[in-house]
Amino acid sequence: MDDASRRADMSAMGIWLAGLARRRAGRMLPAVLGVSLTISLLAILGIFINVSASTMTQRALGDVPVDWQIELVRSADTGAVLTHLRAAAPVRMIDPIGYADVTAFTATTGGTTQTTGKGKVLGIVPTYWKDFPAELRPMLGATTGVLVAQQTAANLHVTVGDSLSVSRIGLPPVTVRVDGVIDLPQADALFQAIGVPPGAAAQAPPDNVLIVPMAIWHTWFDPQAVVRPNSVTMQLHVRLDHTLPADPGNAFIHVQQLARNFEARVAGSAIVGDNLAARLGAVREDALYARVLFLFLGLPGAILAMILTVAVSGTGADRRRREQALLRVRGATTQSLLRLESLEAIVVAVLASTVALLVVWLITRQMVAIGIAHRPTVVVLVTSIAVGIGTALGAVVAPAWRAARESSVNSGRGRIGRVEAPLWERTWIDVILLIVAGGVYWRAAASGFQIVLAPEGVAQTSVSYGAFLAPLALWIGVGLLVTRVFRHGLSGGRSVVTRLVRPLAGGLAPIVAASASRQSRLITRGVVLVTLAFSFAVSTAVFNSTYNTQSVVDAALTNGSDVTVTGTTAYPAGQLLGRISKVPGVQAARAMMHRFAYVGKDLQDIYGIDPATIADAADLSNAFFASNDAVGTMRLLASRRDGVLLSQETVNDFQLHVGDQVTLRVQNANDHQYHPVTFHFLGVVREFSTAPKDSFILCNGDYLAEQTADPSREIVLIRGAIAPAKLAEAVRPVVATLPGVRVSDLGTVQRAISSSLTAVDLHGLTWIELSYAILLIAGASGLVLGLGLIERRRDFALLAAMGASTRQMGSFFWSEGLIVLVSGMFLGFLTGFGLAKMLVKVLTGVFDPPPQSLTVPWAYLGVLIIAGSLSMVIAVVVARSVTRHQAIQALRTI
Amino acid sequence: MPDVLAEAIDAGRVFGTGEHRVVALQHVTCKVERGSRIALVGPSGSGKSTLLHLLASLDDPTSGEVRWPALGDKGTLRPSKISFVFQSESLLAPLTVLENIEVPRLLAGVSPEQARSEASEILGALDLGQLSDKLPEEISGGQAQRVAVARSLVSKPDLILADEPTGQLDHAAAKQLLDLLVRRLEGTTTALVIATHDTSVAARMGTQWTMHHGALT
Repeated sequence: MDDASRRADMSAMGIWLAGLARRRAGRMLPAVLGVSLTISLLAILGIFINVSASTMTQRALGDVPVDWQIELVRSADTGAVLTHLRAAAPVRMIDPIGYADVTAFTATTGGTTQTTGKGKVLGIVPTYWKDFPAELRPMLGATTGVLVAQQTAANLHVTVGDSLSVSRIGLPPVTVRVDGVIDLPQADALFQAIGVPPGAAAQAPPDNVLIVPMAIWHTWFDPQAVVRPNSVTMQLHVRLDHTLPADPGNAFIHVQQLARNFEARVAGSAIVGDNLAARLGAVREDALYARVLFLFLGLPGAILAMILTVAVSGTGADRRRREQALLRVRGATTQSLLRLESLEAIVVAVLASTVALLVVWLITRQMVAIGIAHRPTVVVLVTSIAVGIGTALGAVVAPAWRAARESSVNSGRGRIGRVEAPLWERTWIDVILLIVAGGVYWRAAASGFQIVLAPEGVAQTSVSYGAFLAPLALWIGVGLLVTRVFRHGLSGGRSVVTRLVRPLAGGLAPIVAASASRQSRLITRGVVLVTLAFSFAVSTAVFNSTYNTQSVVDAALTNGSDVTVTGTTAYPAGQLLGRISKVPGVQAARAMMHRFAYVGKDLQDIYGIDPATIADAADLSNAFFASNDAVGTMRLLASRRDGVLLSQETVNDFQLHVGDQVTLRVQNANDHQYHPVTFHFLGVVREFSTAPKDSFILCNGDYLAEQTADPSREIVLIRGAIAPAKLAEAVRPVVATLPGVRVSDLGTVQRAISSSLTAVDLHGLTWIELSYAILLIAGASGLVLGLGLIERRRDFALLAAMGASTRQMGSFFWSEGLIVLVSGMFLGFLTGFGLAKMLVKVLTGVFDPPPQSLTVPWAYLGVLIIAGSLSMVIAVVVARSVTRHQAIQALRTI
Repeated sequence: MPDVLAEAIDAGRVFGTGEHRVVALQHVTCKVERGSRIALVGPSGSGKSTLLHLLASLDDPTSGEVRWPALGDKGTLRPSKISFVFQSESLLAPLTVLENIEVPRLLAGVSPEQARSEASEILGALDLGQLSDKLPEEISGGQAQRVAVARSLVSKPDLILADEPTGQLDHAAAKQLLDLLVRRLEGTTTALVIATHDTSVAARMGTQWTMHHGALT
């Protein structure tokens, strides 16, 4: 190309660009909106995934009470180990802690002597409370000196000021005065077996624990280390510097490498109990689930926005063909035609990127703290914009290229019926996709497979992205099947269409039906887009509602009721039941016992309830019981005073059958010893308010009180008539007099549970997705329909010229609008529910407990129907107005 | 029965405002009487189409008045009393030839059965029966214009206004189309106004109106 041609080309492009700005702004606007929806949804999704992973890592770091517990072998040189430790890892704090086994603790109180089984005595340094505050929680008395664990205090029936005796191994006992009672919230980690292979059964923490200053501990147990070396160990508790990779998986690998480096340096002198890596390892799975969740719920929206953009741009195909024909007549080559069309795509992409970046900034600044210069954010934004540019080019240039390839103007006339079926239709790809969706789903449902695999102790994690195939294949398969059915249905089933449109079109029904059947491609495009948009919105909404419902169920199980007051054995909350019941906003308050009982050698939580009234304050789901009948099970328990409900694991372990007599050992208040008590096994309990997720026991409170000579009830469950958080605020002052009491409300617990999975507010993302879904429905129902109608304004102008009345013209518009909306909405709802069911099944891992049924957000679905209908009405009204006002202009071109 | 089917009295039509103001028609006064054959001639842009649009009530004058003394209310003119034939292909793309011809009758409120019968009859009479099931995209330009003429005749209107119906046809096809129209209207009281550049077409009409710069001369 010489200079003159280049200048001419540039000049033509300038004229074209000016023309676009002046006369095509209205037509480009829908494409700009579609591309900006695509870019912004992808960007928000990516930013949420990044922030989610990063927040999850930070939260995991905060959750770990002690990063590393380094157990020293007896011969180890502590100084050398410390030197190696500081060289191998960025250490912030190190405290030594001594562990010693003892045969028993004994105490004499209230005229009786209680002796426990074997236990542990820990020696701590004064800085331990400050350095590792999550390990110990003060309950009564001092935080220095001799501290007894709460359960041990209950077993020994001791409190601050009482004396107890410690039976050392191979040495005479020592006696000591109790200075304080504490709780050990992280007992599992504190007493973990260090150096056992990954996946080994967890070691239960000791039932009896005493904590003493390190100096006393050395005095007591240095001699024991001599006579029984294996009974005494030393650990170093370490806090690392938490500047780690943002992604939990990378952070996990990094921390593991630090630990291995240290172990290699000390060459067998010490073993690392890597709590930090263990926590990050557990979080990896949650992070992957969060990513999968975001992708499952958000990606279809972005794909839909892309399809919508292509469809919207496709409505200008006739105009494009005419323009190209004119340009060709004036000597334009295919290359120069495409250059001119690319200008439109570039204008669309630039405008859409600007709008999208603004939207992303406005939305994300409200929800997450991100820096625009943050590298992962930049990557996400650049990728999203690249996809947006691709969409704009695909939507504008690809059809232009296709049109340019057509050698004559007449070849573009094949837009009405009688065309060959596309390849996918001839090869039945739609049906194949639906079969694939069914097959993958069946495999997932039948094999109980996990979409996310993050094996404990293994660095490698995996997400079975193959599971995406089921919903994706269903979505695409339905889209194609609807295309097939409607194209053939509208073409071949004209008598049915005539009957359907007769109420609107009257005598014109045969002509309206004939028009619809020959416009089957246009109408089918509308139906498919509305179907896909509704299915996306419905599936996302139903899935999110089900997820939220399950998190409430989970929270209700964890918290027990709207508000739960948890006291101690020494200070049970039940003693304030009368006062709590009178707090304004309390609808019902019920007290419940929480003790411990031995089932064989296994110490389990036992709950004593009043089965006739407990449901007044706590929600009991049928799923809590193997009988699947909460009311019936409570009635059964009430009818048998010594009845007991046990967990499935216990029933299996002891080969129990309903009606069997079961003997448990529970502590009696008179002598504080565990005594056998006989119960009758009535059934299996799976879950119960405040109970742990593993084994526990449920029985009649009155019977337990009688057998233990102790009627005190440690827990009070409250059902409120006001918001749980407000009720908890009102209850707190009433119970403040009880030492060690805790008041928790449903909302706080739910937030803690929900956020533990996604680490960012899923409600925020849900809100964005559901808003975008409404926009996409509006776009599919309104924009595509309206533009399709406006594109055919020549036909409508002709009808008007022939004398069609306003009502007769309306019958064409409304018939088409209703065919698109009603069919698309119906099929979209059907597909949406199917997809939601599939998503719930495929993503079972995110639910705890799994839902029994889908939760349907009827109000939101109502909004969707209104949005779709309103868009259709607006589209028809605008299209009618445009065709009426432009009728003369259209007529002049006829 | 009044004989004046349509009349324009000092009618004018202006499009746009300000810089974009275009005077398409100015001070036009004319009458179309029952049974008349009028050729409307004049160069491109002289206002022929605009005048026909006003006489067909497809558009309203911005000044002056257009009336239809013999035809009654303005709202009842189309499709039964006035038919319009456009310059280029004006068939509804999604409908077959037969359906295109049924449309004016259905719009007039006759039953679908009667509309079909009348449409078939006119197609047969004009020797277009073989095109009944064809779509507009499947027939030639000349055939499409003949179908458009058939559509204008099916309602047996009092007035047919044709806007350069032969403008895009070769000479032979144009002659054939005009023959068809004139022959079909022989012995009827239907008035015909044809806008045309073709002097041979104009010569076959009884009256000639010449337009220049939006005015009748």
